[in-house]
Amino acid sequence: MNTHDILDMPGAEHQIPEYSPALLRGPEWLRGVRRRSRDLFNAAPLPRRGLHLWRYTDPATFLVPTGNIADTVVSEDQDTVIRLEKEHVDSGHLAALVTDLAGREIATYGAESLAKLGVIVEPLSVAVERHHELVEKHLYSLVDAHMGKFEALNSSLWNDGIFVYVPAGKTVEKPIHLLREAGASGSAFFPRLLVVVGRNAEMTLIDEYAGGPSDGDTYASVNATVEIIAEDDSRVRYVSVQRQGTAVNMYLSHRAQIGQNAQMLTIPLAFGGNIAKQNFGVILNGRGANSRMFGMLFGSGYQHFDNHTLHEHRSGTTTSDIDFKTVLRDKAVSAYTGLIRIEQHAKTCEAYQENRNLLLNRGPKAETIPELEILNEDVKCSHGATIGPIDPESIFYLTARGIERNEAVRMIVSGFVASTLKQIPDDLRERIGEFVTERLEGI
Amino acid sequence: MAETARAKQNAELATLGEDYATKYGFHDPVNYFHKGARGINHEVVEMISRMKGEPRWMADRRHEALDIFLAKPMPQWGNTKLLGEIDFDNIFYFMKPIEHQGKSWDDVPEYIKKTFDRLGIPEAEKNFLGGVSAQYESEVVYHSMRDDLKEQGIVFLDMDSALRERPDIVEKYFGTVIPSADNKFAALNTAAWSGGSFIYVPPGVDVKIPLQAYFRINAENMGQFERTLIIADKGSRVHYIEGCTAPVYSTDSLHSAVVELIALEGAYIRYTTIQNWARNIYNLVTKRATAHKNATVEWVDGNIGSRLTMKYPCIQLVGEGAKGEILSVAFAGIDQHQDAGAKVIHAAPNTSSRITSKSISKDNGRASYRGLVKIHKNAVNSKVSVECDALLIGEAARSDTYPTMEIDNDLVRVEHEARVSKVAEEQLFYLTSRGLTEDDARLLIVNGFMEPFTKELPMEYAVELNRLIELEMEGSIG
Amino acid sequence: MAGFRKVASVGDIPLATMRAFQVGHSRIVVCNVGGSFYAIADECTHDGAPISTGRLFKEQVVCPRHGARFNVKDGAVEAPPAVVPVETYEVKIDGDDILVAVD
Repeated sequence: MNTHDILDMPGAEHQIPEYSPALLRGPEWLRGVRRRSRDLFNAAPLPRRGLHLWRYTDPATFLVPTGNIADTVVSEDQDTVIRLEKEHVDSGHLAALVTDLAGREIATYGAESLAKLGVIVEPLSVAVERHHELVEKHLYSLVDAHMGKFEALNSSLWNDGIFVYVPAGKTVEKPIHLLREAGASGSAFFPRLLVVVGRNAEMTLIDEYAGGPSDGDTYASVNATVEIIAEDDSRVRYVSVQRQGTAVNMYLSHRAQIGQNAQMLTIPLAFGGNIAKQNFGVILNGRGANSRMFGMLFGSGYQHFDNHTLHEHRSGTTTSDIDFKTVLRDKAVSAYTGLIRIEQHAKTCEAYQENRNLLLNRGPKAETIPELEILNEDVKCSHGATIGPIDPESIFYLTARGIERNEAVRMIVSGFVASTLKQIPDDLRERIGEFVTERLEGI
Repeated sequence: MAETARAKQNAELATLGEDYATKYGFHDPVNYFHKGARGINHEVVEMISRMKGEPRWMADRRHEALDIFLAKPMPQWGNTKLLGEIDFDNIFYFMKPIEHQGKSWDDVPEYIKKTFDRLGIPEAEKNFLGGVSAQYESEVVYHSMRDDLKEQGIVFLDMDSALRERPDIVEKYFGTVIPSADNKFAALNTAAWSGGSFIYVPPGVDVKIPLQAYFRINAENMGQFERTLIIADKGSRVHYIEGCTAPVYSTDSLHSAVVELIALEGAYIRYTTIQNWARNIYNLVTKRATAHKNATVEWVDGNIGSRLTMKYPCIQLVGEGAKGEILSVAFAGIDQHQDAGAKVIHAAPNTSSRITSKSISKDNGRASYRGLVKIHKNAVNSKVSVECDALLIGEAARSDTYPTMEIDNDLVRVEHEARVSKVAEEQLFYLTSRGLTEDDARLLIVNGFMEPFTKELPMEYAVELNRLIELEMEGSIG
Repeated sequence: MAGFRKVASVGDIPLATMRAFQVGHSRIVVCNVGGSFYAIADECTHDGAPISTGRLFKEQVVCPRHGARFNVKDGAVEAPPAVVPVETYEVKIDGDDILVAVD
């Protein structure tokens, strides 16, 4: 357990030095973006606490001493992880790429079958050279240094990342699974993911963040960025699984942009981290585009989650739906802010949002802010939010039928998150169900 | 009231002028008893306090609040563009229209009496009010209360008189619900306040008929800063109604009130507002209530007119079993932004609250709901329900919903729902096929949409509100 | 009962000043009132602002954002807009060390 003074202002150790080696990675154009992002990061003050998206989380949490970012240490359960991933590939995934968060490859499976389809899954540092045109066109197109101080940090320093590309018209039938391991205590990582799905292509991508410490005096830090470009008529399922150790501070910025008649399913699942601030956004950028989001968050112990979702309707006749479920126990805290924005020229849109929070015992805190910004009249739009305990009547009903209380709670929680679980690809669903069960122990 | 009298009155209300400009938008040429310079500083504050002959503690309070106002930045949220257009140096902070307040309408100068006649205040007073306070610019020019209410020990005064006549109660409660540092505009009000109502209802007394205050801004670049304090002692009941209007000028005026309500154990306060400001008024108001054990507070808040309204009536439920209800409507027409909402703070067990918000955005009008529901750890077995409905009329109409819910214990039930829609084509089709014109059909739908609000108003006000909505729907106001 | 933890030395917090600390999962502020030390949660119960960035007058802390005041000895609200007391923590002085009981 650590005790220290509160940091009021970021000091020099939190500035990115002019000659940081990270700024020299990649071709000239990339080095230019890195330098400009560094300047923006260094110039930006910490976001003010009173401000909208920072009301519930101290921004200083995500500052890291930028001097020691290269101290890459893979966490210890690496072997278990690799074995697990291999099993998954054998049992139904098309391919898996296991890397540490610095993007260094630990293991790849199924590369041959990918190559046959023309699908690319490779470290971003390799893609920057080998698929230079695709990467230069799309990298930073959705998340760049102008989005905020911590996006600038990643934009400048991302050590490495992953590039996924599915050519037009191709269907990747089984999920591609990316697994990235957080570093040891005191380390800082800046993973980046760029996904481009061509016209009328189809894929399922599982993006898993694992590992990292669960105790000790010093936290590990992860600042991740995800950009997904889904071209017209494409169909994408994107599952984000965050199950890092409880001594990892996680900042994640995700944006997907989907074209005409494209369909995007986003499933953010959050179980891990000490303080985890994750921002998922889908921009509907072509007529007929449809985006659905099914999120689930399970907080226990002293975990602190601060999640945002965004559905931005930039084109007419687009539809979106968000169902975000939060389960909390002990002293866990969750703040959820979900915005639906419909632009003035985006007529005949439909958008729905629901956030339900289940509090399992006396300690947790839940905050929910479901927001709407509707700039034209030709819409159908609604949202709802609820916060409450497990219904004592349901417990009574189940226990009266001879079901143990623990089992009754497990059944009720499973029912509560069922709508999200149902959306998860088959072989992953079972594992996610197990995570939930594990976290219900001793309730 | 007999049905015929009621019908007659409705007819009168319905024909009180055809639009805002003729009905409310006129202004009087006035020789003010006192009209200070533009802008605010410590000298202006000292002058206001001296002219009122206030005790030193109040003068000190004003000066302290002015320092807070000058030090506090403008809000960084909401419509920062419109807020940025307020020119604090161009405003008159204190205008005293006449030297002495009138106790009967005959005491009031003819031109002011005529103003309130045109607004229907003396008529309403005769027919259904227990007491009336009429504020013109900075001060209350007319005040009266029925004798039978006085005999029950009910105190209904303008705030300036209350400070003179009941300094003990005023000092005890003034600023205890809304401190100067609460926000920039509460600080400004505390520094420059003038007028407003003071009500004290003794234990167990039920004020059976409403008390009303009417606020009128007449001058250009006027700043009106009334201060209202209502204390309902144990087991008492009171209903207070306020109305507001102003003339139409090409330059802006600022209305920035502070309203504090205190409902002691078992008391009931309902506070009804029908504001109908001209489109050049910035209406930035802080309203907050404290409800003690088993007390009930209700805000019924109708927002029509103004350029920018920022108003979020709040109820702090600090005693076990306290209840709160906030019911509001907002109508945002051309170039208007109604940034309204509601706040409920649950700080005791077994408390309950309900928020119902209805908004209409027409043309390029923008209506925002901004709300807060906070449930503290000790507020177990509490219940909250929030419902927001927005109706959009016109391609560029805008609606925002920004509700915040902060819940610190698990033995609660919080539900929030919001819907945004336009006037349904099917309904329009149905009504027009039965012979209504499209405009009438739309008006009927809008009135239906507002009905949960209007049915809570005294009949006379419901009629008036429907009339105002009709004018807004015709786009003929302003 | 939570154990006592050292957060600072007596000399670190001069008379009539306060200082914030992160202790485990809690953020607290330790105040020196006439040579006696008191600890409260560094979070205003009104709007969550860090009270430590406000001012200390005798035994009252004033929140910098909206002016709420709390008594550092018992956490009681002494001025609005707060309506709920702030959490207090037990403090012990052991030689030169300030110990605070935080769970």
